[in-house]
Amino acid sequence: MSLKRSKNKYATIVVFLVLALIFSVVLFSTIGTANIKISDTFKIIGSKLPLIGEKINIDGIPDSHKTIILKIRLPRVLLGVLVGASLSSAGVAFQGMFKNPMADPYVMGISSGAALGASLAIILGLRKTIFAISPISFFAFIGSLITVFSVYFISRVKNKVPVTNLLLSGVAIGQFLTAIMSFLMVIYSKDMEKIIFWTLGSLSGKGWEPLIRIAFPTILSIMILNFFSRDLNIILTGEESAKSLGVEVEKIKIYILILSSFMTAMVVSVSGIIGFVGLIIPHIVRLLVGPDHRILLPSAALVGGIFMIFADTIARTIISPVEIPVGIITAMFGGPFFIYLLRKKKKGI
Amino acid sequence: MVKAIKVQSLKFGYKDDLVLKDISFSLEEGQFMSIIGPNGSGKSTLLKNICNLEKPNSGEIEIHGKNISQYKSKELAKKIALVPQDTFISYDFSVFDVVLMGRFPYLGRFDKETDEDFEITKEALKITNTFHLRDRNINEISGGERQRVIIARALAQEPDIIFLDEPTSHLDINHQMDLLNILRNLNKEKNTTIVLVIHDINLACRYSDIIMLLDKGEILSIGSPKEVVTRENIEKAYGLNTIIEENPYTNSLYIVPLSLNGIVKKVDKKEKVHIISGGGTGREIISKLEEAGYDLSLGVINVGDSDWQLGKELSIKMVEEKPFSHISEEAFKKNIQFIREADIVVLGSTPYGRGNMKNLEAASLALNMGKTVYFLDNYSKDNKFDYTDGEAEKLLNEMKGKGLLIINSIDEIIKKA
Repeated sequence: MSLKRSKNKYATIVVFLVLALIFSVVLFSTIGTANIKISDTFKIIGSKLPLIGEKINIDGIPDSHKTIILKIRLPRVLLGVLVGASLSSAGVAFQGMFKNPMADPYVMGISSGAALGASLAIILGLRKTIFAISPISFFAFIGSLITVFSVYFISRVKNKVPVTNLLLSGVAIGQFLTAIMSFLMVIYSKDMEKIIFWTLGSLSGKGWEPLIRIAFPTILSIMILNFFSRDLNIILTGEESAKSLGVEVEKIKIYILILSSFMTAMVVSVSGIIGFVGLIIPHIVRLLVGPDHRILLPSAALVGGIFMIFADTIARTIISPVEIPVGIITAMFGGPFFIYLLRKKKKGI
Repeated sequence: MVKAIKVQSLKFGYKDDLVLKDISFSLEEGQFMSIIGPNGSGKSTLLKNICNLEKPNSGEIEIHGKNISQYKSKELAKKIALVPQDTFISYDFSVFDVVLMGRFPYLGRFDKETDEDFEITKEALKITNTFHLRDRNINEISGGERQRVIIARALAQEPDIIFLDEPTSHLDINHQMDLLNILRNLNKEKNTTIVLVIHDINLACRYSDIIMLLDKGEILSIGSPKEVVTRENIEKAYGLNTIIEENPYTNSLYIVPLSLNGIVKKVDKKEKVHIISGGGTGREIISKLEEAGYDLSLGVINVGDSDWQLGKELSIKMVEEKPFSHISEEAFKKNIQFIREADIVVLGSTPYGRGNMKNLEAASLALNMGKTVYFLDNYSKDNKFDYTDGEAEKLLNEMKGKGLLIINSIDEIIKKA
C-alpha cells in the first residue's frame, strides 16, 4: 500500500537526517581558528558519552583543544541546533495552522513581545532567577505569551480566528510593542547597548548553562508538536473539513499557539531574534519531503538545526576573529534562496 | 423509530439578521433529501448548523436522537460526514492520504493506522471510482475527480449520514450524473442517509425521496418532489414562471422556466385576454401573452387538446369540454361569460368543423358585444380550414366586415399595448 511504503520512506529520511545532524555537530565544532582534526573532535565528544566514553583514548589530544571543543564550541553548536530546530518547527506549525506561506515564528509578534519582556528585565536589573529561569528568559517568555494571546483574542470573531485578522493584528501589536521598547531604550539609555545586543541575536559565548536550561522544554515541545501532525494535515485541507472530520480546530490552534510560542520564546530568550530560519527552512523542507506534517515536522527540526549551526559557523569564521550576528548570515543565505524558490515555483509555495 | 435527523425551531444568524428563521423538520434513516432554494435562502447555512460547524442561536438539532452538542467531535464525525462546497486543497497530498484522513475519528492521538483502516480507505476509493488515482496528488486531478475523492474521504468515516454542499455545482453534466449515481448507490446499498444542497431542481427531483424548499430562511415546503416542486412554490421562492412536466424518460418531474416574474411584473398589463384556439394553434399565443403578463382565459377547449395541456401547465382559467366532443350549449354559455369579462379576444387559426363551430360563433358574438377581437391569420392559401361546407368561411368574412382585426403575429398585440 502506498502509505506503508511512504512510512518506510519517512523512517529512512529521519534516520538520514539524524546522522547528518550528528556529523554536522562534529564538523562545525571542529571548524574554527584553532586547528583541530575532525577525528579528534569525534574522540573528545565520544569520551564524554556514557557507555562508550571510557573506551576512547584522548590522551594524545592537547588539553586546549579539549577545552575549546567541550567548553566553547560544543555548547554553542548544540544551542544552535536547538534554536534552529525550534524556530523551524514553530514555522512549520504556524504555516500549517494559518495555511499561509508567509507565517513564521515571529509573525504573531512573538519576537517583539519577547524583546520587550527581555528589555524590561534588563532595565529593572533583575538578577534573581524565577522558577530557576533567568529573569530575562522568564520575562521574554511571558512577553511573548501575552503578545500571542492578545493577538489571538483581538482576531477572534465569534469562535473563529480568521487568518488575515491574526496576521494583521500580529503586525500591529508587534509594531506597538517595538515602539514601547524603543521608547524604553531612549529613556534608559544606559541599558540601550545591552538591549540592542540582546535583540541582534547571537549564539556566542553562552556556555552550557542556557543550553541546559532550555534543552528539556524545547525538545519536549518539539516532540509534543509532532503529535499534532495528523491534525495539522487535516487542517491544511480546510478548517471546515477538519471540523467535520472531528478535529477540534480551535483547541488545536490554541495548543499549537502555546507550544510554538513557548519554544520560540525559549530560544529567543537565549539567542535573541534570529530571522529567516523559521520562514525558509519549512519551505525548503516542504519542497523536499512534501506537505505531510508527520515527516515535515521532524525533518524541518533536523534540517533547521543543521542550517543554524552552518550559518553560525560562517558567522564566527568568515571575517574571523570578528564575529557577525548569525541573523545576518541566515538572512543573507535565506533571502536570496527564498526569492529563488518564489520565482521558480510560480504556482505558489 | 429514531429519526436520523431532527431539527426543532432552529434559529441562526451570522450577525443580527436571522439567516434561518424557525426551521423544524425530521428525516428518517436511509432517505435521500435535497435542499433547494434560491441563493441566500440559507441552504448551506442550514447544512453547517446540522454539521455543528455553526452554533444555532436557538433550537435543537438531534442526530439519531441525541443532541449534537452532546456528541464529542470525533463521535459525531463517526455519525455524519460533510463534503464541503469548496474541495480545493492547495497542498500536494496524495489522494490515498487524503482519503485516509477520513479515518481520523477512529484514531487516537498516539495510534497508528491499522490494516483495517487501510482496507476501509481502499474500499472507499473503489466505491467512488478513484482507486486508480490513489498515488496522484490531490491538486493535480480534475475537479470532478477531486469531488469524488472528498466523497471517498467522507465514506472512510463510515458515517450514517453524508451531507454534501452543492456537490454538482462545478461539474459537467456527465460528472454531475456520475456523482449522483454514486450517492444513490450508497443510499440504496448501504442505507446511508444522504442530504445535499443542490441548485439543479431537475436533478433534485430525479434523485431525491424528499425535497426541502427553503426560501428566506424558512421551509416553504418539504415532502416528495411532487408535493414540493409545484408552480406555486417555485414562483413563490424563485419568482419564476415555470412549466412542470413529468419527464417520460426518467419518470421524474421536469421544470421548464418560462419567465421571470419580478421583471415581467413591471410591464404587467393586467388586461384580460380570452383566447379561442385549439389543436396547438394557441400555443404561441398563450405562451407569449402569459410571458407578457396578461391575465389569460381559454375556451372552449377539449380536454386533452395540446392547447388545453399548456393551459393546464400554466394554470390558465379554461372552459373545458369532454375530449373529442362537440361543444355543448352549457360550455358555449360559459365561454360567452368569459368573453364578457375579457378586454380582448384573440382568435387562433384553428380549423373549424361541426364540433367547434360554436367557438367561431362566440367570437362573432364578441364582436357584436363591441369587444376588440384579434384574429391571428396563419391560414395558408392552399390549406383548408373550413370543414363546415363554407359556413365558417362565411361567418369569418362577415366578421371581417364588422371590424375583426387581422394580425400576422401575436407580437403585434404585445407591442401595441
